[in-house]
Amino acid sequence: MDVKRKVDIIRVNPQDWPNGTPAGKAEDPDHGHDIIPAERYFSPDYMALEWERVWTKVWLLAGRSDDLKVEGDYICTDIGKESVLIVRQSDGSLRAFPNVCLHRGNRLRPEGLGNTAEFRCMYHHWAYGLDGAITRIPDLGSFPQGGPPEGRLPSLPTGEWGGFVWFSLNPDVEPLADYLGMIPAHLDPYHFERMAWKRDITVEWDCNWKASMDAFHENYHVQGIHPQLQWYLDDVNVQIDCYDKHSRYLVPFATVSPRVALPSSIPPAIDHMMRHAGMDPAEYEGRVSDIRLDLQRFIRANASAQGKDFSELNDDQLTDDYHYSIFPNVSMNIHAEDIMMFRQRPHPTDPGKMLYDLWMFELVPDGEEWPARVRHQHFKHGDKSLGQVLDQDAFNLPTVQKGMQSSAFKGLWLSDQELRIRHFHHVLDQYIGGARAAQADNKQLGDNECN
Amino acid sequence: MDLGLTGKKAIIVGAARGIGMAVAEILAREGCDLAITARSEDGVKDAVANLRKYGTKVIGSAVNVKKADDYKTWLAETIDELGGCDILIPISSSGGGMGSEKYWHNAFEVDVMGPVRAVEAVLPGMTERKTGSIVLIATTSAGEAMGGPQAYNAMKASLITWGKQLALAHGKDGIRVNVVSPGPVEFEGGNWDMIKGTMEKFYTNTLRQQPQGRLGTPEEIARAIAFLASPAASWCNGSHLVVDGGYTNRTHF
Repeated sequence: MDVKRKVDIIRVNPQDWPNGTPAGKAEDPDHGHDIIPAERYFSPDYMALEWERVWTKVWLLAGRSDDLKVEGDYICTDIGKESVLIVRQSDGSLRAFPNVCLHRGNRLRPEGLGNTAEFRCMYHHWAYGLDGAITRIPDLGSFPQGGPPEGRLPSLPTGEWGGFVWFSLNPDVEPLADYLGMIPAHLDPYHFERMAWKRDITVEWDCNWKASMDAFHENYHVQGIHPQLQWYLDDVNVQIDCYDKHSRYLVPFATVSPRVALPSSIPPAIDHMMRHAGMDPAEYEGRVSDIRLDLQRFIRANASAQGKDFSELNDDQLTDDYHYSIFPNVSMNIHAEDIMMFRQRPHPTDPGKMLYDLWMFELVPDGEEWPARVRHQHFKHGDKSLGQVLDQDAFNLPTVQKGMQSSAFKGLWLSDQELRIRHFHHVLDQYIGGARAAQADNKQLGDNECN
Repeated sequence: MDLGLTGKKAIIVGAARGIGMAVAEILAREGCDLAITARSEDGVKDAVANLRKYGTKVIGSAVNVKKADDYKTWLAETIDELGGCDILIPISSSGGGMGSEKYWHNAFEVDVMGPVRAVEAVLPGMTERKTGSIVLIATTSAGEAMGGPQAYNAMKASLITWGKQLALAHGKDGIRVNVVSPGPVEFEGGNWDMIKGTMEKFYTNTLRQQPQGRLGTPEEIARAIAFLASPAASWCNGSHLVVDGGYTNRTHF
């Protein structure tokens, strides 16, 4: 590694936190050193395989439970060529069904959130109850064959975990808990349900969805496109952990990268982090390299007085970035007080385009009012800024997508720092190759042994 | 030109990095015995080891200038161990910062009282020997407004005023006092190195204001300081030298 200094990052001892997020290093899988073939980023055939063997087989993230508070609240979310309605029922449960009228195929609702007593098609006013059952067909007598015999929209699997709502296009999908695997045990200590929407943005990006997944699966790019973050985080001492389908890396924050000289004054972003915690940087007498641990101690000592319960989090989690990805398309930067996460969705038809959903949430301290729901924004790459760091992340992706189609480029040439990219493509290959088919289809398996 | 520094005894407060280290390097090379300090123990140890290669006597230990008693003790013991002090260059700074009253206290203790306590410690000996040279380090941010309203600029400005008063008061005893105001200086681990990485636009705008399109180096400031500190500058007293590559617009009528 091209570093200027040797930095020993002190991490928590996993044994000290037996009930929290497992902090220990997982054994690295051996995924070899071959290239990841470029074709999968632009081939329509590969895109069709992904649809058949991934998108229609796995659990997918739909939105937030707190957008579905009362009966009739619904989320309408698109995935590829499909659109799904997820609706809160009178008994508090959720139901999901395809967002399509059985009459002539019109979509019942545009993408977004709402509350309704029924889903009435805006074309001929066929109406469906919150459970998806047909409640009214105008002029039913004019259909000699009667209404559709099933009398309802097909049901899709749906579930909730961590304050998030999930669904699957696969009626026989394994249970959500089995699909998520280790994720709840790792992330429940954060109590995502205590966090409220801060940003909700969808951006159309001119690249394959996997190019975006790749972008957030490694820290190697920090020295390339985020030079300023070197005075905020340690992009060298990163712990990478790969699990069955999912993966994570742990990035120390509130510290200075070994790639740059240690400054004698407190870097602006770390200064900001200290102030946010209630610490006065002007009062700080230690060295810049001591701030991370001192900030952890300060947050630990002051959290409960600030209405923040971090009792289930370890000390590193009070400062660091615990970055998780949930296969296939969710990347989460998780901190004690906020989440910055991305949902990468494929374009319905074009492998060279995708939808990048940027979701941010912030802890609402005890005693503070739950903030009003932020408005969803949707725009094209470059029309508006996402902020310096995410603009830097997005900058290269369209040219990556173009370059990948060069006959001179055979595939991704990856370093150890990019192990999570390898792992992601390994799992993807398993789905595409059929090795995960039994897992994705609970019926074939016949029980819940899905991990 | 011989600076006449051979055999002189110099104290530099804040010599582990940047301009202070560059001054120490020049003075050692020119044959001065040196006593240095800084906050970081490792920093002082490394600097002492490095400076000894020139063959003069170099001593040093870490001290926090903000802790007045420790600092005064360090000064007294150091003057004693060095066998007197011909040249004093107190350069430590607490740096900039806004949004906390504490920055005023820090700047007062380090940027102002750091030099004040050092000057008071060396003056009796210099007066007795009827010779001495003191160089105070201010900033171009004192003469021209820069950055937000903050303690750093205002406290540094006070050194320019006080330096002149010292020069007038002690000139009769053969003690010269001069002030150097450096413009933006870049070195690895320094503020402008960090600004280059974290605030690229501000950095490039600053470069554009520099007639030569670059920032200064510690050595370029240190050479001016070393000259004013040396017997070669025997007729410089009460002067204020701006060393900024032409960064500031102010004319010095």
